[in-house]
Amino acid sequence: MDKTNTKKTLRIASKMDKIEKKIAYLTSYIDVLKHQDEVKVEKKINAWLDDQKENLLAYEVRTLSKEDYHQNFIQPKQDEVSKTYDLKERALRQSLKRKLDKADATQKEVLQKTFDENIATLHAELNEKLSEIEKELSVHAPSESARKEALKQYSDEKKKVSQEQQLLKESFEKEYALSFENQKARIQKQIDALKLKLDVLSKTHKSLLEQQENVLPDDVILRLDGLMMQFGGLVAVSNLSFDVKQGEIFGLIGPNGAGKTTVFNCITQFYKPTDGHIYYRDKRLNTIHLNDYIVHDVIKQGIVRTFQNVELIWELSILDNLLVGAHSTYQTGFFHHLFHTRRFLREESVLKAKAIKVLTDLNLLQYKDFYPLGLPYGILKQVELARTLMSEPQLIILDEPAAGLNDLETDRLIETIRKIQYDYKVTIFLVEHDMGLVMELCDTICAISFGKKLAIGTPKEIQSNKVVQEAYLGGE
Amino acid sequence: MMLENRTKTTFAPALWWKKVSKHPFFGVFLSLFVMIMIRLLGDIGIVPPSVVDVFAIMWIYIIIGLGFTLLLGYTGLASLGTAGLIGVGSYVVAYALGTLGVSLFIAFILGIVIAIVLGTIVGFISLRIEGMYLAIITLGLSEILVEVFKFWTKVTKGLVGFQIERFPILGTIVREEQVYYLLVIGLILTMFAVLNIINSPTGRAMLSIKNSTSAAQAMGISILKYRLLSFIISTVLAVIGGMLYMAYTRSTIPNLWNIALSLNILAAVVIGGAKSIWGVSLGTIFIFGLNQLVFARIPFFATYGNASLFINGALIILVVMFYPGGIIRMFSDLSRLSKKWYQSIKTRIKEYRYGQD
Repeated sequence: MDKTNTKKTLRIASKMDKIEKKIAYLTSYIDVLKHQDEVKVEKKINAWLDDQKENLLAYEVRTLSKEDYHQNFIQPKQDEVSKTYDLKERALRQSLKRKLDKADATQKEVLQKTFDENIATLHAELNEKLSEIEKELSVHAPSESARKEALKQYSDEKKKVSQEQQLLKESFEKEYALSFENQKARIQKQIDALKLKLDVLSKTHKSLLEQQENVLPDDVILRLDGLMMQFGGLVAVSNLSFDVKQGEIFGLIGPNGAGKTTVFNCITQFYKPTDGHIYYRDKRLNTIHLNDYIVHDVIKQGIVRTFQNVELIWELSILDNLLVGAHSTYQTGFFHHLFHTRRFLREESVLKAKAIKVLTDLNLLQYKDFYPLGLPYGILKQVELARTLMSEPQLIILDEPAAGLNDLETDRLIETIRKIQYDYKVTIFLVEHDMGLVMELCDTICAISFGKKLAIGTPKEIQSNKVVQEAYLGGE
Repeated sequence: MMLENRTKTTFAPALWWKKVSKHPFFGVFLSLFVMIMIRLLGDIGIVPPSVVDVFAIMWIYIIIGLGFTLLLGYTGLASLGTAGLIGVGSYVVAYALGTLGVSLFIAFILGIVIAIVLGTIVGFISLRIEGMYLAIITLGLSEILVEVFKFWTKVTKGLVGFQIERFPILGTIVREEQVYYLLVIGLILTMFAVLNIINSPTGRAMLSIKNSTSAAQAMGISILKYRLLSFIISTVLAVIGGMLYMAYTRSTIPNLWNIALSLNILAAVVIGGAKSIWGVSLGTIFIFGLNQLVFARIPFFATYGNASLFINGALIILVVMFYPGGIIRMFSDLSRLSKKWYQSIKTRIKEYRYGQD
């Protein structure tokens, strides 16, 4: 009886999930559309401004004083001319050098003489050209009063342009706003319909939940109950039980080979536990018995993990790696992907915007088009963290996030984890060897050794615990 | 006072051909143009019919190679059973048109259904077995299929092969030259489909499975689903290739679909570059085209027909040793190198003329 009840609840929950995902997608699609319009308007305005600049330049030239005009128009021309003449001189010098190497004494004299003559004519030519350019300056000889007037004209013109720009911008925005509002209204209609459906479903869901007996207390998100993992004769984890509370940072510590990573693999179902139960409370307050799930379904419940040694997709760029992280949130299927239908393209644009937002949050935007190979290890660890955020997780499991990082990178990592916990409202469960990081970051710590629980408590309690000290430093 | 107005915010629009060549489907349309040009030149008489035939068969192998790309380059599974599957395609069309007398359209649907069934079977096998052993198993499957072609004489007419008469498309009996356009349509559609799959979550999921199965699973990618999918796609494309082959040549014999063909397709994909559809096309041209278009005209190779296999072998060794990314990588490398050389030559000339700075 109870089992069919839970099944029904879960079915309704998954339906609600689908609807909620669709609502989230539609709402963010509105933002994407707006952003696209803004970009279009900006492009148009910039193109128009470029045309105006030519016009403004003519006004600005008239306001220049004699020195400024010289500096801006005469000097560059003169520099260019003298540069070409300099090159010519160098070429002559070089050819003379080459010829001198082969020539005998009498020829040398002749060569030197012709060279001197050539140089002299070159210099004369250069001076003539420079003075010719200098003459242009006399064309531009505004009086003080004329300059003042020109300055006034220039500022007027500038004001006019900026006013026109404002008007143009408004008109462009109006032009786009109409179609945008239409689209927005249509999408909003869809969202409202979905929300109505969601309300009905959530009511039935609530009533069904009330009928169930609660395995987990309200504030617990993950419970390990007598977890046991054996590999043949080797007992990696034995009878391990603890609770992870909603919203906290929970640390699992232990010496090498204590079975920490095995615990993670059991939670994410990479290993099927030999015995014991793992309960998890999803965002709809369903209690889920994780042992019943397949590896790739765990992420759909809101649990996502990282790996001890970075497991990024080396042949994809960082942005694409993040999109792989969002794989479980794609609603379009294979045929949409095959034909690149409009629905798929929209969804892709929404998820790309989300990926860029996550990358900006973690200060990784400059690496967006890089491939992971060759990036520093600290960055790769951060990218892996960013990837976990793409699937809208409830619980993030970090397997040695600080392994292989230097002190500076570790400090940055602590900041990032805090930020993620605060901004994305997730629970974080981590394994770490770096005691500094664990003690600074974690709210609760569980110490294990050889698969058995030694102690659980706040960092202070763990630090002063005798059994834990013995396990780390060796007894007696 | 700085003249701020002299700098522009946007740059001048790019040259139109630069814009066009950046378009993702530019290559597809270019190859469409090339394919149709070859046929038209053949019609005029500039290109001899035998050469057009070689190109037509090459387009078919490119279709098959593109399916293989998804399997090898994206999902990271090696198969040596391609030839048998192509054979299945050819016999489906032969039986449907020659014995049953149905239309080509129905034969195609039948072939695709058979391909999906076969692909599913091989895909399920691939879940348990990987790497070399998968190649051996698919090779075995292919050999079983060839034996079936040889001895199920009721359907396949056995060792002598199966020839069919000219058949109608859309109600009219067509000539060989018109079937060529069927191949062109097939290849272009395949290129679009494979390009779309590569640039979608499906393609990314396949690459993730090749790179790291555990990361893929942790991100919610079902290994079963995507391995099966890539096997089904590559099988369907191989069978379609076989069906187009039969439609074009109108004859098939069991000995054509042996391991040498499977190896050649593998070689074409590896030499060209397993991750790029242009690489695969290039590799196919190298393996299948070079032999019949160039070597056949050289007297030495004309007398010793199999000598070209040496060149194929040497090519594979060279590419795998020095260009694991395939020949297609060579182009980007060459353009980079040529730019570098151009710069260094320029500075040398400058030094000669003007002396060192």
